[in-house]
Amino acid sequence: MRHTLALGAALLGLAVVPLTGAAQSPHFEGKTVTIVVGFKAGGGYDRTARILARHLPKYLPGRPNVIVQNMPGANSITAANHVYAVAKPDGLTIGTFNRNLVLAQLTNVPGVKFDMTKFAWIGSAASETTILAIRSDLPYQSFDELRKSGKPVVIGATGPGANTYDFPLLLREFLGVNFKIVSGYSSSADIMLAIERKEADARAGSFTSLRPFIDRDLVRPVVRARASEPGIEQLPVDENLAPTPRARAIMALRSAPEVVGRPYVMTPGTPDAILKLVREAFAAALKDPELAAEAKKAKMELEYTSGEETLKILTEVLSQPKDIVEEFSKYIKFGE
Amino acid sequence: MIEALFEGLLLVLQWKAFAFMLLGVVLGFWVGLLPGLGGVTTLALMLPFIYAMTPIEGFAFLLGMHSVVATTGDITSVLFGIPGEGTTAATILDGHSMAKKGEAGRALGAALASSLVGALVGAIALAVAIPVVRPLVLSFGSPELFMVAIVGIAFIASLSAQGGRGMLRGFLAGGLGLMVATVGQDPQAGIARYTFDSLYLWSGLDLVPILIGIFAIPEVIDLVLRGTSIAGDVPKGRLNQGALEGVRDTFRHFGLTLRCSLIGTFIGIMPGLGGAVAQWLAYGHAAQSARTAEERAGFGKGDVRGVLGPGAANNSKEGGALIPTVAFGVPGSSSMAILLGGFFLLGLVPGPDMLTTHLTVTFSMVWTIVLANIITVVACFLFLNHLARLTVVRGALLIPVILVLVFVGSYTANNNYGDLLLMLFFGAVGYLMVAGGWPRAPFVLGLVLGKIVENNLYISVARYEAEWLTRPIVLVLAALAVAVMFYPLLQARRSAARGG
Repeated sequence: MRHTLALGAALLGLAVVPLTGAAQSPHFEGKTVTIVVGFKAGGGYDRTARILARHLPKYLPGRPNVIVQNMPGANSITAANHVYAVAKPDGLTIGTFNRNLVLAQLTNVPGVKFDMTKFAWIGSAASETTILAIRSDLPYQSFDELRKSGKPVVIGATGPGANTYDFPLLLREFLGVNFKIVSGYSSSADIMLAIERKEADARAGSFTSLRPFIDRDLVRPVVRARASEPGIEQLPVDENLAPTPRARAIMALRSAPEVVGRPYVMTPGTPDAILKLVREAFAAALKDPELAAEAKKAKMELEYTSGEETLKILTEVLSQPKDIVEEFSKYIKFGE
Repeated sequence: MIEALFEGLLLVLQWKAFAFMLLGVVLGFWVGLLPGLGGVTTLALMLPFIYAMTPIEGFAFLLGMHSVVATTGDITSVLFGIPGEGTTAATILDGHSMAKKGEAGRALGAALASSLVGALVGAIALAVAIPVVRPLVLSFGSPELFMVAIVGIAFIASLSAQGGRGMLRGFLAGGLGLMVATVGQDPQAGIARYTFDSLYLWSGLDLVPILIGIFAIPEVIDLVLRGTSIAGDVPKGRLNQGALEGVRDTFRHFGLTLRCSLIGTFIGIMPGLGGAVAQWLAYGHAAQSARTAEERAGFGKGDVRGVLGPGAANNSKEGGALIPTVAFGVPGSSSMAILLGGFFLLGLVPGPDMLTTHLTVTFSMVWTIVLANIITVVACFLFLNHLARLTVVRGALLIPVILVLVFVGSYTANNNYGDLLLMLFFGAVGYLMVAGGWPRAPFVLGLVLGKIVENNLYISVARYEAEWLTRPIVLVLAALAVAVMFYPLLQARRSAARGG
């Protein structure tokens, strides 16, 4: 009996110590952290946020609830504006949105009310790379053969601003590949079906989304953007084929945000102590073996990039010379 | 194959899988009833719970939930005139009108019974289509999808009042719908259309707040003005026997129910057409079944056939939508896109393998749809007549509840206050349309078909130039569109001749 009492007292003491200690350092006990996602439920950004919401609490002091709120609209500009200016800088709101928002800021898209470099950057949860995959029954074994054949290749695309459209567009404009870009498909899944019925010959898209179809030998990857992933290292990289430094710079600019494929931020002005805690928790959660197992099951490739590194890449994008930006916006429109 | 069919059934009947399916059914039941909270969002929310399940349990849970959402969504549509789901709005036109005539029980019975028939037809179609599914889906390219949408637009003719004036109004309303569908960034040049520099309008308008506004707001105003209950001063005695009468209606018009089920299945199979289209095509087809001018005028005022058509199509499309998901790994609707994520989580790769190696799993999905629907419909019948009594509750007591549903439903789709304004705006539009005698169905038809028409026409021309016009299926569909368009005219002449 005395033992149990002693044990109980010890347990109570243990429970009390961190609480009193937490009076100095920030903690999240009994609070709810909201991850605001700039897209509807079910997409890649949303699924990443939901898997993080399950594992972040373990690493945040006080084990808060972490919930996901979808705030779609204007290709995530709405959500970014919200996290930037409406949410309180108290560490209870985390934002994740379209990686290309930095390009929206660069090309002065109306409605952008944020400065990407001023967010309290947590980091990125994944890196995405765009590849172009052609139908396997076409005779071209490599990008070089495809380019030299000069025959028109029909590219199925969703619309301007998406990698399904922008990536082949730059290949056509700068490398002179005879691409006929047909856009208006409602999703990349629809383009895959168009490829199955031979309405389209090829599509660009993230390697993650194309991989099941590559594995099934429906399509074959021929060229990729800068970021690499296991299995496609040997593919030619678009910017290395660029004929001029200018073309190279523009292709590089399009690809730059892909390295920070799933950006995570907090409201500008979030206290450093809180930011540090969330950054550490974010890094630890992404290395968590349970999270890794779940991500693998869901066929998601998660990869941690630190807040500092992310900020560096974005600053580089935003410091491009004016003429490059002008030429870039001639080709690339910010969109879905 | 027959063996796989029975093995699939046995898999679902294992106690754990069955329990998960029941859990899914209970969840789906509520999701369907509540406007705004859609099946798609709920699927996404539930996805993390299937990590620990086997494929059979996981699908029993997800599909069990998903396949009853449309069924119970009809209940909200009928009782309150609020679309319980974006895909159950067509049921309002006649279903809620019946409720106002004191026939809520009959309308609910008809909606549920036709839902069940639809679900069964969809499931059978899924099972039967397995050997031919690949060529069937592949023969419908962008030109064919464009023509399907044109056939849909031709249905405006049957959804409008008769006579030159009625037709003109119908087609103008349809044109307005098409125009509203163009709001947002266009997918060809990336130009922002009708956005007035507003971020909110940039990604286009969401269907759910528009549907809630255009259908529910006029009903609320009407209820306030009448100052009575929904069913007005109709004697209460008729409410109780209603549900069974609705079931009888389903069998009285069994041919129609069956045809609308097939329409739903077909729309479901075609990727990219979307759930909202199925119910409106079915409604248009149901309106065609009117034989005389008086019967036609009765549509929208409480003809039970206007409930049976969309009710059946809504549920049959789910079986259809599974087909491209299973066979190609290409989802036929947004909810299927989320289900596809479920496939991966459960360690299955959708594609041709699902029709051979994993055929048992595929059949277990068919069975889940069948069982979940039967359970839901039977459960609903137990308290259907109680539900119907809501229509004799005093309006003053109901209006606050309805308004909460209207506002919450419009907001939860996107968590955006702009959607509330959108709902109120289209509420005003809807009210003016009703007051001025303009039909709302053609407007919604134009709205749900707008993007499909535009994008598929663009793709067809860009890809095939003029050549697509000579494709055989395109020609058949063109002939069908003409027939659909002129059918009401022919009907009017025939009925005039009979009368004279």
